[in-house]
Amino acid sequence: MSNEPIIKVEGLSKMYLLNKSGIPKSDTLYGNIRNSLQNFKNIAKKQETSDFWALQNVTFDINQGDRVGIIGRNGAGKSTLLKILSRITPPTKGRVEISGRLASLLEVGTGFHGDLSGRENIYLNGSILGMSKHEIDRKFDEIVAFAEVEQFLDTPVKRYSSGMYVRLAFAVAAHLEPEILIVDEVLAVGDAAFQKKCIGKMKDVSNGGRTILFVSHSMASIQNLCDKCLYLKNGEMVTYGKTDDVIPVYLRASQEVQLLKLYDRTDRTGNGKLKFTSFNLKNNKNENLVSAQCGDFLNFELEVNAVSNLSNVIISLGIDDSMGQRVTHFSNEVTNQVFEKMENGNHLIDINIPKFPLKSGEYTFTLFCTVNGDIADWIQEAGTFTVESGDFYRSGKLPPEGQGSIFIEHSFILK
Amino acid sequence: MTKDKIIIDSNLSSFFSFKEVLKYKNLLGNLAKRDFLVRYKQAFAGIVWALVKPLMSILVFGYISSKISDTGNTATNFLYVASAMLLWQLFSNVFNDVSNSIIGNSNLFSKVYFPKIVIPLSTILVCLVDFFISLIILVVLFIISGQAVNWHLILAPLFILLTVVNGFGIGLCFATINVKYRDVKFIVPVILQFGLYVTPVIFSTKYYTDRLPDWLHWLFCLNPMVGAIDGFKYALFGGDAIFNVNYFIASIAMSFLFLFIGIKYFYKFERNFVDYI
Repeated sequence: MSNEPIIKVEGLSKMYLLNKSGIPKSDTLYGNIRNSLQNFKNIAKKQETSDFWALQNVTFDINQGDRVGIIGRNGAGKSTLLKILSRITPPTKGRVEISGRLASLLEVGTGFHGDLSGRENIYLNGSILGMSKHEIDRKFDEIVAFAEVEQFLDTPVKRYSSGMYVRLAFAVAAHLEPEILIVDEVLAVGDAAFQKKCIGKMKDVSNGGRTILFVSHSMASIQNLCDKCLYLKNGEMVTYGKTDDVIPVYLRASQEVQLLKLYDRTDRTGNGKLKFTSFNLKNNKNENLVSAQCGDFLNFELEVNAVSNLSNVIISLGIDDSMGQRVTHFSNEVTNQVFEKMENGNHLIDINIPKFPLKSGEYTFTLFCTVNGDIADWIQEAGTFTVESGDFYRSGKLPPEGQGSIFIEHSFILK
Repeated sequence: MTKDKIIIDSNLSSFFSFKEVLKYKNLLGNLAKRDFLVRYKQAFAGIVWALVKPLMSILVFGYISSKISDTGNTATNFLYVASAMLLWQLFSNVFNDVSNSIIGNSNLFSKVYFPKIVIPLSTILVCLVDFFISLIILVVLFIISGQAVNWHLILAPLFILLTVVNGFGIGLCFATINVKYRDVKFIVPVILQFGLYVTPVIFSTKYYTDRLPDWLHWLFCLNPMVGAIDGFKYALFGGDAIFNVNYFIASIAMSFLFLFIGIKYFYKFERNFVDYI
């Protein structure tokens, strides 16, 4: 019995129908009647729909006690897979056998209601996640202690700070005791200390012999938590095996995509009012660089295309290290330099960094832009760049390897 | 450790399982509690509002009825209208809330699995609480008018249940349609408004059948609320509330037909709701 896999997935596929014309299928009765009348008149004009396979022929087994990370770029089918395993949406083809109680955590605080107090929400959320009243009663104090919200138990959660809200929501979920736990990147919220606490809690859970499926973009969390890894690409399974074997395959693959020119990229979201078209690294003499150098002046030059006259444009650029951990983030919002006006056409945007502080290595960046508060363009892992080591302190000396990953200007004074 | 094996495949239909619903009774109770608590949070008069709406309708329609109807006694007229109106409002609340319940809670079942039937079932509980609060009006009216009750009264819960069955069955159909076609939220109030005038709320069934042409009698009695309201009136007042047993039975049969269709239709599409929300 113990050799039987706890989750058995066979040939799992999920298809969605997309509308080719780009016009959404009508969502009103009238619209549908009108459409079908038109179709009747002219069969050739029939609304063209196309199949989109979010998941295709995925087969794998998970044994009891396995901690499996699921990785892949946006749109690779990770969430679809979790949704099918959680019985939220049915597969189009294939079959899954699950032997054991399964709980899924695709979002923190599902069903939380702002007008209800912390206490009421614990009971509501717990019951949505499938806990019995008795179970919640028994764990209540533990949940409250974990979330650190003792004094606010009878306050409506809409008056909570966002940190308290997230802590309470996660605390309830963390005290579930399923045999299989499915977690979707919910750890991306909360401060670092709390994230650490969450990972710790999940480790405790899995040390108790329970099985975990964990989706994340952060290779560091995956390495930290998972012993096995499943790599999905465009709905298909590329490889499934030991975490240390799978992550290098994934990192290599994600670099391949980034060789595409930015304006050719299709894995972007946003309304397209503004699009990133190219990216260059430049030095202070406006010369193109192959790689950045630590301690030197660096200019990230972005080329964008505005389709019309825009106002209130916010651009940001986030930098991740090779483990997928966000290192820093540049934004004209935080520097109070929001572009109030931008005429249509192409523009160059410079992001100047007087003294580049990251240690040598490979970095990935994400580009993000909003126009008037709506997301105009968003390309995750838009590209990579290399940082060469450099004489940051102008002293000819560098700190020893393993002493952190950023450089900060500092001085010592003896008094 | 008990091993319950879950099989997930592309087979689209599932069906109502009492056992599974029972497993989620805690969720059912908590969802009802949430809806109830949230409704009157930050409302000064709180639960009193549950009385205002039925009271207004009873006053208005009771007055109209006593002016027009052929049973001379004003007090009895008010009692008749009050009992029918309370039941009609129970139906109207269940119907309306059930048909909006799936859409309104899509954020839950698009993130966590549970039997979706729990959602409309929990709305019934909320409507029933409102109903029992509004029954106070009826009790007060009974005391004021000195109307006597007899053993028929024990039948009353049956017709309250029948009303819930009506609202639930028809509501489930509309809840399912609502997932894909949001037109439902405009259609339901229209149906309810129209329904009030073709249901023996203000006048008795006899009043209607006396005035309608023969061929419309049957159509009139295919309204499932005719049986529930006439039965309820019979339980409270006895007499000739159910003046034609055939019509009465036809109406009750329709109730169960709607319940059957509602459940069947709901379960046909239930598994795919998430993809259409």
